[in-house]
Amino acid sequence: MMTRSRLAFAIAAILGLAGAGLAYAHGDGDPSAAIDLVVNSPEGEVGEDEGLAAWENIYAVVSHPRCSNCHVDDSNTPMWSGPSYGEARPHGMNINAGASRIGAESLPCGTCHIQSTAPNDHPHAAPHAGLTWMLAPVEFAWFGKDSADVCRQIRDPERNGGRDGAGLVEHIVHDAQIKAFITWGFNPGGGREPAPGTMQAHLDDMVMWTAAGMPCPGE
Amino acid sequence: MKLTVNGETRTVDAEPDTPLLWALRDDLDLTGTKYGCGIAQCGACTVHLDGQAVRSCQATVALAEGREITTIEGLGGADAPHPVQAAWIEKQVAQCGYCQSGQMMQAAWLLEINPDPSDADIDRAMAGNLCRCGTYPLIREAVKLAAAKMRGA
Repeated sequence: MMTRSRLAFAIAAILGLAGAGLAYAHGDGDPSAAIDLVVNSPEGEVGEDEGLAAWENIYAVVSHPRCSNCHVDDSNTPMWSGPSYGEARPHGMNINAGASRIGAESLPCGTCHIQSTAPNDHPHAAPHAGLTWMLAPVEFAWFGKDSADVCRQIRDPERNGGRDGAGLVEHIVHDAQIKAFITWGFNPGGGREPAPGTMQAHLDDMVMWTAAGMPCPGE
Repeated sequence: MKLTVNGETRTVDAEPDTPLLWALRDDLDLTGTKYGCGIAQCGACTVHLDGQAVRSCQATVALAEGREITTIEGLGGADAPHPVQAAWIEKQVAQCGYCQSGQMMQAAWLLEINPDPSDADIDRAMAGNLCRCGTYPLIREAVKLAAAKMRGA
């Protein structure tokens, strides 16, 4: 049985590895340096139809396996999917990220998924990104949910990390600066299918949707 | 580049993105850590970085710089084996032995965070460490024995 102090030790050890290994990835001319995105504010009001169209693009991204596989429920089991094994299935190796969502209770995600902004060049290797690898918080779980459900979830500050529209836009911009998980989803490497579109297009859609007042399908 | 390995400062001539495993084996001659798959699918190369088990084929020397690196050689030796190593010997876990240094490093991490693991705890923490000889039942027994030794039971 794991005690609270042991869990605290484990979490500290895991997070203690965060931040190292990045310095080399930000040198001059380094291909893995941060991505610069542009926030293209719309001119004039954005109508509901435009907002819903932008949402459908956003849903195509967030429901893609590169994103949704780690937005799972309190089973805390990440999902796997890829061209060689069809539909999503639970992560191999009996992986469970625990209530900590970083595997602190047993096998840390970071044991295999190191923190690095270097390209993911090798097929089948554990992917890495510029953040400690983890599941999204459980209140962000949307794996398998339909467009309307995920939409209502993402605009709800109780279930999106306390973000308003500007916060959702900033979330994408910040992710690109540190090459975290959204950025990885568009360029996962290793032969993995990327999320549809581009990071800039995803940001543009988020700007449009939030400017339209975050309309959701079926309302 | 300077690395702190098993309590000693060692110098390696390596690019920052060199896998730590390469530096350990080829530059520092610490060959107890094994190359298995090179893509974090087998666990044979497991070492500790600041106490946490990591796959050294994925960790770069840049990630390891400035941190305490512990390999199977540093976990314990013949004169003073770590309780995990002692339990492995007592249970005669190894068959071919190739994966076992990684298994022991992973087990040592598990016992740092969980002093009395159940079968399910062991399976969950150790399932990323593969053994082609199928020594899993003995690994489970040895982890429990090591846990008892560490608890002083």
